[in-house]
Amino acid sequence: MKRRSLLAAGALGTLGMTLAACGESGGSGEDGEFDPGNRVTMIVPFSAGGGSDIAGRAIAAGLEEVTGSTVTVENRVGGSGAVGYSDLRNSEGDGSVLLASETALNTLPIVQDVDFTYESFTPIMKAGEDFNIVVVAADSPYQSISDVIDAAKSEQLTAAVSGSTGPDHIAWSLIEQEQDITLERVTFESSSEVLAALMGGHVQVAASNPGELTGQLESGDIRALCALAPERYEYELLADIPTGAEEGVNVTFAQWRGFIAPGGIEDAAREYWIEKAKEYEKTEAFSEFIESNMLQPVTAYGDEFVSYLEQYSADVESALGN
Amino acid sequence: MIDNLMLGIETAVSPENLLWCAVGVVLGTLIGLMPGLGSATGVAILLPVTLTMEPVTALIMLAGIYYGSQYGASTSSILISTPGDSSSVVLTLDGYRMARNGRAGAALAISAISSFIAAIISLMVLLALAAPVASWALNFGPPETLAIILLGMATIVTFAGENMLRGIIMAAAGLLLAMIGTASGFTTARFTFGSMNLLSGLEFVAVMIGIFAIGEVVHQIHRGGEKPIRARLRDLMLTKDEAKRILPPALRGTFLGTALGVLPGAGATLASFMSYGLEGRVSKHRKELGSGAVEGVAAPEASNNAAANSSFIPTLALGIPGSGTTAILLGAFVIFGLQPGPMLFEQQPDLVWGLLVSFFFGNLLLLVLNLPLAPVFAQVLRIPYSYLYPIIIVLSMVGAYAVGNSMFAVWVVFFAGALGYFMKRYGFPAAPLVLGLVLGPMLERSLVQTSSMGHGNLLIVFERPLSAFFMVLAILAFVGPPLLGVINRRRERSRQEKAATPA
Repeated sequence: MKRRSLLAAGALGTLGMTLAACGESGGSGEDGEFDPGNRVTMIVPFSAGGGSDIAGRAIAAGLEEVTGSTVTVENRVGGSGAVGYSDLRNSEGDGSVLLASETALNTLPIVQDVDFTYESFTPIMKAGEDFNIVVVAADSPYQSISDVIDAAKSEQLTAAVSGSTGPDHIAWSLIEQEQDITLERVTFESSSEVLAALMGGHVQVAASNPGELTGQLESGDIRALCALAPERYEYELLADIPTGAEEGVNVTFAQWRGFIAPGGIEDAAREYWIEKAKEYEKTEAFSEFIESNMLQPVTAYGDEFVSYLEQYSADVESALGN
Repeated sequence: MIDNLMLGIETAVSPENLLWCAVGVVLGTLIGLMPGLGSATGVAILLPVTLTMEPVTALIMLAGIYYGSQYGASTSSILISTPGDSSSVVLTLDGYRMARNGRAGAALAISAISSFIAAIISLMVLLALAAPVASWALNFGPPETLAIILLGMATIVTFAGENMLRGIIMAAAGLLLAMIGTASGFTTARFTFGSMNLLSGLEFVAVMIGIFAIGEVVHQIHRGGEKPIRARLRDLMLTKDEAKRILPPALRGTFLGTALGVLPGAGATLASFMSYGLEGRVSKHRKELGSGAVEGVAAPEASNNAAANSSFIPTLALGIPGSGTTAILLGAFVIFGLQPGPMLFEQQPDLVWGLLVSFFFGNLLLLVLNLPLAPVFAQVLRIPYSYLYPIIIVLSMVGAYAVGNSMFAVWVVFFAGALGYFMKRYGFPAAPLVLGLVLGPMLERSLVQTSSMGHGNLLIVFERPLSAFFMVLAILAFVGPPLLGVINRRRERSRQEKAATPA
């Protein structure tokens, strides 16, 4: 009997968690002002605990602070993110649903048969950019990115990438195009597996976001060759890393993070979220999110964000060669 | 070392840390009991709750959830053949068999004791050798992983039960199902029929819940009239003979689990399957495997707990997670402003050693909780099936839905359940299918990675000493038993012929 009631309690708990998702949706007030209502849903298209989830939860908490609404994070997992985006599509016109978005919004429509592009949604805020840093193992013979490029001209080098369409893969493709070299890709599931392969000497080079590299950079297990960013980083740990351009590689590539709303929402709703996102940018919570993940706080809102996405999709398309 | 240990004990035995450690292991056990709710989901869901605590307290609690759920997951595998986690699938073989034979209490006790043995030994390895073991583990690249997975596949023979051909068919079916989704290292979508839900493959947990839980329930309904198991209290206790048989398989399982847990990505599931396979080769009681043998519970249970502990080795020492759950814990470290890696041991010794020592108290508590509770939990089998079945089905559906917050997983459970029913009815073993499904994506990934590393030449697996060693073991494991069978039959025949000639 004990076990049964215990299982039942557990089941109720789970049900509670899932039911909590179904909130009231928002609408316009009588004076044309948009009000999302008390319950806002932030869809995270990846599973709990990952980088996208951490970012989504940080943004949700920040928005909760500036709107006063309850922002519930829901992980809708599947299809490398496609399921979550597809769910957002089904909420067309609903201003109380948001999605914590990143580069997958640009890559998925290019590499997979999905029924959306960034144009299907209402981009609200690009919160930050996460540039790639090229790294080698501590005992690698390569001291600079030019060493790597020179070596790649005479022998076959392997680069570990996380995911076959990830930002590091795209960054390498752009470098290949610019420098006229080819690198063999060894595809791993996550940045940490990439690092393990690099430190174990199984691959020669890798590129990743600073947030993923801090521990190993601090301990000296890996060495940074260059940052594929327009300017040097100001974070203490990264300040000495030259940019690609300083070393003759004119490639910059970042993963962006931010949030979007469904397509077809009222103008008032769009304005409301842009307004609130701008407020969020000024909060302590925002700076903390940016700093703890070592992002560059290059923000963009509404139309500006849309043109960024347009350019980004073009870059991705050229890099993935489709 | 001793200083560190003292420092660790000092941190871990503070009343607050002990309390949260206890809360963690109890919550972990409950989460593990729920089908489909594994340790990774548990830690991720409860992570936000710990944000207001001291970092070390929060990590102690989150780690407690992790290893606590390993205990809970085995309990539901044994009692109702519904694995809470992929690493406890193997327990549905002998553990569930034992429960059906009226030895549920004993099976649970064996599982608790062998988990405890494994936890303590692997913890000592963790305390003494974390740093050197972690750097050594880096030598395992894709070719080595490939070789180890092939070695794991070779253990299928053991799971096949009496009919090897059926076992191999099911393993192949598992591998085929694992092909669904985006090809590893490429963007090609295979067998998805345009469905976005299938892009990242079939959700393993949903298939597992369907085949085991739903399949078993429907099969029992089909057979009809199963009587609840009315075990007497005496039957719930471990017999002397059973107690004696725990230690050797538990030690072997601990060894395998500790070794595989260190390797990034290999993990607890592979360890539990392989240790069961190992028992099938070396145990004195290997003939009893599959019909409710102590070894079939002790070995895999020890190995999955050892693997859970040793996956902390690369996580703490290198900042590279050894399992899905430690990846989430790594995220927790970062949220608390800590960066796992060699520096952590120097900068925050009280945190690292406090966390590790807390494992000892957590596991002790789990043993103290689980041993007396084993007979109590076993009472679940006395519930008439007309009440038990609906509960299992509802829990399974909720568990599957919770995995991705989507109805699609629930449909997968239905289909897998139908499949599981027919497999049971026509005598096709489920474990090889699950093994194929778990190992399929890992096999494909390491195969593609090895191929890129060798610039198309797969033979590099024989050029690297470590991978060559495991490849030879794998080949021996594949070829050995059939070859031995042929030799034995020859010998038998010639003996018969000899016996026949004089007459």
